[in-house]
Amino acid sequence: MSRRHMGRTVGQVILALAAFSAVFPVFWTTLNAFKNRVDIVTPTPLFFFTPTLDNFAYVLGRDSVFAGLVNSVLISGAAVLVGALLGLPAAYALARYPNRWTKDIQFFVLSLRFLPPVAVAIPLMVIWLNSGFYDTRLSMIVTYTLLTLATVIWLSVPAFARVPKEVEEAARVDGYGPFAVFFLIALPIASRSLIGAVAFAFVLVWNEFLIALMLTTSDAKTLPIVASELTQLGRDVPWGILNASVVLLSIPPLLFIGVLSGMLNSAFKRKSS
Amino acid sequence: MKNARSLLPTVFLTPAMAILAVLALVPTVYAVFISFQDRELSRPDGRFIGLENYIALFSDRRFLNAIKVSLTWEILTVALTLVIAVGLGILLFECASAKMRNFLSLLFLMPVILPRVSAAFVWKFAFHPLYGIITYPYKAITGQPLDLLSNPFTALGTVALVDVWQWGLFFAVIVLKLLETLPPQPFEAARLDHAKTWEIYAYVALPMLKAPLISLAFVKMIESLRAFDLIYVMTRGGPGISTETLDMYAFSQGFIESGRISYASSMAVLMMIATSVAFTFIWKRAKI
Repeated sequence: MSRRHMGRTVGQVILALAAFSAVFPVFWTTLNAFKNRVDIVTPTPLFFFTPTLDNFAYVLGRDSVFAGLVNSVLISGAAVLVGALLGLPAAYALARYPNRWTKDIQFFVLSLRFLPPVAVAIPLMVIWLNSGFYDTRLSMIVTYTLLTLATVIWLSVPAFARVPKEVEEAARVDGYGPFAVFFLIALPIASRSLIGAVAFAFVLVWNEFLIALMLTTSDAKTLPIVASELTQLGRDVPWGILNASVVLLSIPPLLFIGVLSGMLNSAFKRKSS
Repeated sequence: MKNARSLLPTVFLTPAMAILAVLALVPTVYAVFISFQDRELSRPDGRFIGLENYIALFSDRRFLNAIKVSLTWEILTVALTLVIAVGLGILLFECASAKMRNFLSLLFLMPVILPRVSAAFVWKFAFHPLYGIITYPYKAITGQPLDLLSNPFTALGTVALVDVWQWGLFFAVIVLKLLETLPPQPFEAARLDHAKTWEIYAYVALPMLKAPLISLAFVKMIESLRAFDLIYVMTRGGPGISTETLDMYAFSQGFIESGRISYASSMAVLMMIATSVAFTFIWKRAKI
């Protein structure tokens, strides 16, 4: 009994260490974002220092970072919007009106999620260069729509399938047409999981790096590209500014952590019952 | 009414599928098309040279090195991710209360939600030989700076650590959820037979989860093929070519160094084939 007890304590210590490893690097980066350069470039890491907002002020005041932020918001936002507008109805049709192609369509959609980005980026670079749309927001939105649309469909099919069939039947008996059933019944009932699916698509394109790196050079550069350029600066590295830009880049995805973990929970809850 | 019912799938599916088909098929077919040419970024049109790019690849020392690096990367990250995921998943299931589980799950999701660029930078700075917090103890004890990312023997492993940090913790949460879906009876029966805790997991729980765990391994294998972001920020394929994976090499051939877009494309096509084979295999095995 006491051996079991000890095992439990050791297990809890390991879990605490793992949790620490998950959080500490992010915490440390955030701390460094509020430090003056002299407090970062110290022989011993400093936990107590006079905080400064200079780094954030500098980052937000810099044209390149601000332009990257605007591009990221517009490109990710538009791609997610198109992905949701087209993807949610498609997912509903796949979940509720199965036919002999349904399985193949789902296979096709999910396989897109696993396409190597470099295999998409190289040909698209040539296509956008030839058509004169290279390095524009439009070409990035179109390209990212491939990712958001596939992701939204893939995650929303199970969400719609979980809507009780009886509710939809009852609405149909009440005289609702098939389109009304989708808009007024299925969409609101599944909305929580659907928001998770859309949030996931957003995080995916917000974080996307390789495709943006190959398809943009100046006008349409997204925030991850701008941040990575800062990290490649030469000798006299402005560490505080770097940390601040990394924090700025990471805030939007982290805002969705609750929604995403809720989606994970509901996905597994149903499998068990 | 009947008419409208048959109309909905067409109206809802056609636009999405048409767009996906165009957006996915055009680049992939075009990738194969340019891989048979000798196109370069500086010259817009190329001529057809058949399989020459593919043949050249197999006598390209850097390509063979990239395969080796990619394979090492795959083995390292997939194996470590699964070991950590299963280990921590079991600990979460065994040692944490329900409230604690939820809280820890939330924390464990954090690394994977971070943009890869952020994760790469966070760790690159942590491993900085002079100011890094991880290398600090070594420096304090020995008085020597520790530069893991500039050493060809440790660079790949160090970057892999970041990948495992992101995915291992995330998959631990999934393993926990999978364990929670198992029926309790086999556990109780094993306990009545005085099975030790590790025996219950090794002989009862994990065999029951064999299929989903294998799927997880395949998902990670495909995901590991996109090591690019981490490697680009942390080492750029260096020192030398010791961390140059396939996508990193394809990128530098097609973009930075020579702009040999056709040559890079032939590599991308090979990666696409490898991914498709692995993906079809998962789909056939376990219906995700």
